[in-house]
This record gives sequence, structure tokens and C-alpha cells, in this order.
Amino acid sequence: MRLVLTNDNRIGVQQDGGMVDVSSAFDDIRYRTSADRMPRVLASLQERRSRVEDLAASGERVPLPGLQAPVPRPPKLIAAFGNYREGSDRERQVQDMFLESPDSVIGPNGTVILPNHPATIFHHEAELALVIGQRSKNLPADERALEALAGYTCAIDVSARGLGRMGPSRIGKSFDTFTPLGPAIVTTDEVPDPQNLRVTMTINGELRQDYTTSDMEYSVVEVLAFITSYMTLVPGDVLLCGTNHQGLGALQDGDQAEMTIEGVGTLAVSVHDPQRREWPRGVDQEMAARQRAVGAS
Amino acid sequence: MRIAAFDDGRIGIIGNDETVVEITDLLQAYEPLGPQDLLPDLITHFDELRPELERRVAAGGGRPLDGVRLHSPLTRPSKIVCLIGNYREGTDRPIQILDLFFKSPEGISGPGDTVVLPPHQANIFHHEAEIAVVIGREAKDFSEAEAMDAVFGYVVYNDVSARGLGRSGINSFLGKSFDTFAAFGPWIVTKDEISDPQSLSVTVDVNGERRQDYSTSDMERPIPELLTYISSVMTLHPGDVICCGTNHQGLGAMQDGDAVVTTVSGIGSFTIHVRDEHERAWQRGVDRAMAEQVRAGAQHPAAPRSGGSAS
Repeated sequence: MRLVLTNDNRIGVQQDGGMVDVSSAFDDIRYRTSADRMPRVLASLQERRSRVEDLAASGERVPLPGLQAPVPRPPKLIAAFGNYREGSDRERQVQDMFLESPDSVIGPNGTVILPNHPATIFHHEAELALVIGQRSKNLPADERALEALAGYTCAIDVSARGLGRMGPSRIGKSFDTFTPLGPAIVTTDEVPDPQNLRVTMTINGELRQDYTTSDMEYSVVEVLAFITSYMTLVPGDVLLCGTNHQGLGALQDGDQAEMTIEGVGTLAVSVHDPQRREWPRGVDQEMAARQRAVGAS
Repeated sequence: MRIAAFDDGRIGIIGNDETVVEITDLLQAYEPLGPQDLLPDLITHFDELRPELERRVAAGGGRPLDGVRLHSPLTRPSKIVCLIGNYREGTDRPIQILDLFFKSPEGISGPGDTVVLPPHQANIFHHEAEIAVVIGREAKDFSEAEAMDAVFGYVVYNDVSARGLGRSGINSFLGKSFDTFAAFGPWIVTKDEISDPQSLSVTVDVNGERRQDYSTSDMERPIPELLTYISSVMTLHPGDVICCGTNHQGLGAMQDGDAVVTTVSGIGSFTIHVRDEHERAWQRGVDRAMAEQVRAGAQHPAAPRSGGSAS
């Protein structure tokens, strides 16, 4: 099942380019803002699943309307530090993560706005995102951890480099609009093996990132076990699993950025820079080489 | 005005006679979805509520403070933004580049609560006393002249910190985001009661022994400058909290059985307890090595820089 949140706060199940409105399954769940809604819907999804499926099967399919991010302002937005082998044969790095501003999220077809801060470059980082469905602490690092998930979605972790003093700075990833998310939450039953997904990122049609989640250093269940050994996760929390830095490049004014995760979806956004700064186009080879060297002896 | 959370989900105003007058009923009008909405609603509607709040406090009839159980006045902020090293600490170094991290808002503890040390192999668990600013309205991209308009008030904060965890070379801050590690208390003081937030005394006493003792006058970047910068990055919301950083001269270990009293003059004081199932022991008193390391300009104490890895 592919759950979407429309611009007018309806809950839909995405099907073949269209959507069936299943909001009536959640009519009794109060909300005040669009940000409140999906965490509450996700928390109740397991017990309402058959009703939602009945509605999706019997309801009228309409063309897909404009969508918000499936979780427009997650309770927490957590990101893994470099979590791919990237062609190196190094030992796994020590696992680590950080929090980003939940106000950085935008939805499909939104606009990333590059701020007037003196970044050395703004990179795209295409990532597999986990959306939490159940309140969780101390999850085991095995299949049971997946029960905490509502599902998967796509995320672009836009990253301004060279800001702050304690690199890699959290500031550079926390500007408003810097975390495009969506389009749908794809429930776990539709993704039989999250460690075998191809992730691609194109800018103006040019392929940049192209990697597979089989290269992850710490798998999805290890990500969940690690973070819940620190903190409680709540429905609607979003975890970004890290990117493969081979293929990062600049985002700049006018760019059309599109990422796809096989079996999960395609997320497209545009980029606006009021300052109209320019960087070399194509893959940032220096960044790619630096990342391959991390942990090399 | 002093605003407190007490007795599991109640909101009250502290009267001058050290009683707490409950006002939770006034907030039901805004149809909160849960207890996490009460404080943001109070902040959002404070100007219209204030006459009634003052009338109730003047009418008296509150419950004595020592007869209620206070909680963190911030139940579940949408963001906890923490400044990284923002004090001069006796050095004459140039002002450092501003930097910050986010703390898990699931990690809140408050007056009388117990901070639980996790089994993770930290080098040490430190207390970090700070003044924190509570945001009063949704705001983005304001000027320094407008910055104080975005402030609702102040609260006392202890940024409990596990050292030495995480990957080297990336300045890990995840050791500050364990559940219970964000301690706020004892109440929020509205900004009109603090004439100069840059001349307050901040102290920590552990089991009666003075550890941290510094003035907010030593801040590298004062509150309006911090807030202005942060608002150039992200939208702020009512009840978000900006923690202004600590002075590392006087940090020390928190360990099993400790009672930690954190105080900011003009705001208040609260106690947290420490529990460690593993009963690990560290040297008591001030951590001199850490203090020296920070005076010497360490960017991130007890987390060696090496290599460097993007995220």
C-alpha cells in the first residue's frame, strides 16, 4: 500500500498514477495542522488496515492531486552519517547519527531554496527513508525491528558544505526546504528486501547517484536497533539511512532534481537560488575520492 | 510571570506567595490534541489570556508549591536547538564561528526526575548548565532588532552529555540525545521579568558541592544574535527552545545516586537525580582536564578529530 497526503490534508492510497481517497477510515482522528495528521494516522494504521484496503479496492480512483510530504513536519528527523561502503574494503565505520530540523521537510514537486549563506557548495544526497509507525525503544537488530516501521519513502538530504565550525555541520542540512520527502509511504509488505533497492538521482536528466542499498554498512534493522538504544522513536519519525557519496554533485538555480528508489517511488523537486551562484555541473569527483579514502589504511 | 507544569498534565501560574494557580481549563478552549499542545497554546494566545491569568493569580487560592509535583515546563517541544561552545571561558580568543546541533525532544526530564545513564561505554557523563530561550511565535528571518519579539521567556536547562561515543572525525553529538538527557525546569519565566539575560549567574551543585559557576555576560554571541542566525536557517515555533551553550569550566561527572541542582539567577533552580544500573564510578569534583582542553581551544572536547567524513 502506498499512502499519500494531499495538499488539502486527505489521506490517499496511490494506485497506477491515480489515488483513492481513504480519509474516511481516519475520520475520528482529530488533527489541527497537516503536520499533526499523518503521525496519528500511522499510529492507528495496523488496526485499520483491512478497512483502508477495502476502501482502496472499492473507492473511486481519481487523478493524483497535489501532494504534501507524507509527514510534513516529522516529530523527529534523524539521519545516519556515511553508511555505505562506496567501493572500499574498509572495516565498517563506527555507527553514528544526528538530528536535523524537522522544519526542513518539503513535499513532491516542491522547491529547494538555497539560502544566502556562504556555503562552498550545495549537494544532493539521495537516501532511503524509514517512516516510523509504532512507538519504539531498544529494538532488536533483526526482522522484529521492522514491525516499528510504517514503511519507506524517498528523501533528498540537501547539504550545504562549509558552514559551522564542527564539520560536518548540522546547520548545513537544516535549512528550511532542505529535506524533500515522498511521494508516498510504501508499507513494509511491499518491499520484501530493503537491502536490495536501486537508488538513482538525476539532475536535469543527467544521472548522478546510482547505487544499491545492498552496499549499506549498517542495514535497516541495525539502523533501527542503534537509534532506539539512544532514544524513543514515535509514529511519524523519519530516519534517513545515509547516502552513497559516489555521484554527489551541486544543486543550483533552475535545476530539476529527481530521485528514484526502485519499488518505492520517484521524488522530483526544483531548485531556486535567489543569488544565482554557479558551481561546476556533473559529479563532484573530489568529494567522491575523499569518501572512498575514509577509513583506508 | 512564571509558568509551570505540575501533577501530570496540569499547567499553572506561580503566584508571589509561592503557590501555583491552575489554569489548564483556560487552555481547553484551544482543543489540544494532547498535553504537548498546552504550553504552545498558552504561548501562542498569551496576550489575550494574560488579563485572566493575572486575575486568577491575584484572586489567590493556589496550592502551595511544596505540595505539588513540578515537571519540565516544556512537555515536548518541536525542536531543541543547542549552541556548541558559546562562552569565552577566560580566554581572549576571537569569537568562534557559530555552530549548533539538535537534541532529541523525546529526551525530556524535569524537576525531581531521574536521569538514567545508559549502558553505552561513554568516557564520562557530564552536566552542562545553561540558560535556554523559549520561543514565543512562529518566526523566520528576523533582524537582530526584532529578535526579542520572538522570545517568550527563559528556562533553566541541563544539557546532560555522554562523552566519547560515536564515530571519530565527525563531532558526534548523539551522546546528548539519550532519553531523559534534556533536563528543563523549574518553570518558564516570561521575558518581561528578566531585565538583562546577559547578566545572570548559572550554577550547578552536585550533592551540595559547587561545580559550574559562571555568568551569562561571558557569552560569545548574545541571545539576539543567536536567535537571528538560527532564524536565517529554520522556522521557529512557539515552545521551541534555544539552549545557549555552557561554560565548560566546572563540568564534572554525573553518577549513580547524585543529586544535581541547576540554577539560573532570576529564573529558578531544580534538582535532578541520577541512576546508573551499572554503578560506574568517576572521579568526583570538577573535570580539570576538560576545562583545560576547552580553554586551549578544543573544538569538541573528548572527541578527537581525525580523517573527516561527510554525512
